[in-house]
Amino acid sequence: MFAFLRKNQVPLSACFCLLLSIYILMAAARGQLKNEPLGALLMWIMRPLQIASQGAVNWIIDFRENYDTLVGFKIENERLRKRIQNLEVERQKYLEADATNRQLKQLLDFRSHLPAGAITASIIANSATSWFKSCQIDKGSVDGVRKGMAVVTPLGVVGQVVAVTPRTAKVLLLTDQNSGIDVLVQRTRSRGIVSGSLESGTVLKYVKRSEDIQQGDRLITSGMDGVFPKGMMVGTVIKVLKQHIGLFQFIEVLPAVQTPLTENVLVVSADSGAAKD
Amino acid sequence: MRLFLLFFLVGIFVLLLQTTLLHLLPGGPIAPDLTLVLCVYLGLYHPTVGAALGSFLLGYSIDIVSSRVIGVNAFAMSLVFLSVYFSSRAIWLQNPMVSSLVVLLAALVKGAALVLVSAIFVSVEGFWIGAAWYIIKEALLAAVLAPMVFALLRRGENFVERFRSVAP
Repeated sequence: MFAFLRKNQVPLSACFCLLLSIYILMAAARGQLKNEPLGALLMWIMRPLQIASQGAVNWIIDFRENYDTLVGFKIENERLRKRIQNLEVERQKYLEADATNRQLKQLLDFRSHLPAGAITASIIANSATSWFKSCQIDKGSVDGVRKGMAVVTPLGVVGQVVAVTPRTAKVLLLTDQNSGIDVLVQRTRSRGIVSGSLESGTVLKYVKRSEDIQQGDRLITSGMDGVFPKGMMVGTVIKVLKQHIGLFQFIEVLPAVQTPLTENVLVVSADSGAAKD
Repeated sequence: MRLFLLFFLVGIFVLLLQTTLLHLLPGGPIAPDLTLVLCVYLGLYHPTVGAALGSFLLGYSIDIVSSRVIGVNAFAMSLVFLSVYFSSRAIWLQNPMVSSLVVLLAALVKGAALVLVSAIFVSVEGFWIGAAWYIIKEALLAAVLAPMVFALLRRGENFVERFRSVAP
């Protein structure tokens, strides 16, 4: 008997455990299992460990949540960054449209003061060399642009059309040494020719030494050359030099229109009379 | 005695892991059943009365910390131990690769025992619906982890053995 028990002690003890667990199950199912000293002991052992472990778990969960939040922030940040970029592009477009709109409106207002038949054009290219001061506009003979027409902006004179193709035209700027615009000094009504020069920029030529020309005097077109309507701003006197010898004064002029900064121009013909203003 | 202490501590640790940290793993509601792996290990490598009682206590501990009715897991674990004990006597199951298979089968036995006992004693309507898939997933997870847990347990045992041989 003992030998059998000794030989099969392991399966017998396992079977005993099985039976014990069934007994416990039945007692628990009937609600008879009120006191559990083993359970209480186990819980007593487990409690501090579980608290510590749960603390670690909570820390990990917090860490993971914080990480997720950070990742969320990163994604949100990226999204907002892209949105800002898009808005910036859109804003730029609106600003550009607004600027163009204002410019065109100004041009339109100005056009109403010019003789009928003024053609709106855009400058599409500047001079390829510094020896010649010219630019190209996007309107040509098809649009009614003819050689010799004046090119102006609301700020003043730009130049004169010197060559025309069906779709483009070349404009000789008033700052070119080959240009010559008949002007009046607004204050004194003295006459002269504004032209470009290689060494001194834009100058007012052929003004007698006796004429009273001062720095800051405004120069306007006289309308006598048959190209530019009368009364258009050409530039401002920035330097007056009366040399000891010679008939004329040396007068340096700041053009009213800075062509590199200009986008839209009006091509007009002085045939129909002077500018209304 | 030292081995008893080792398995006692491992049991507590495994129980602690299973009730806390392992729920953080991305396995949904299924956490790896390390207590089952420990029970199989005891059945395979320490088929003693103490191991049988240890398996029972493992199940009982699970019941205390998580079961609705005390005794369900105690029964399942005791059954697992007994199954492994008899299997290991009939077939050679010491190979580490086979340990996965043993744990897989043991998990299936445990799952089936839980469903059966719960159906009888807990009488929850339709408890077994969906249990099959749950049992299979849990068994697979335990089987995957088994070689690693076995290796760790063996290392622990070796450490204890070495400590015993060095100690005066």
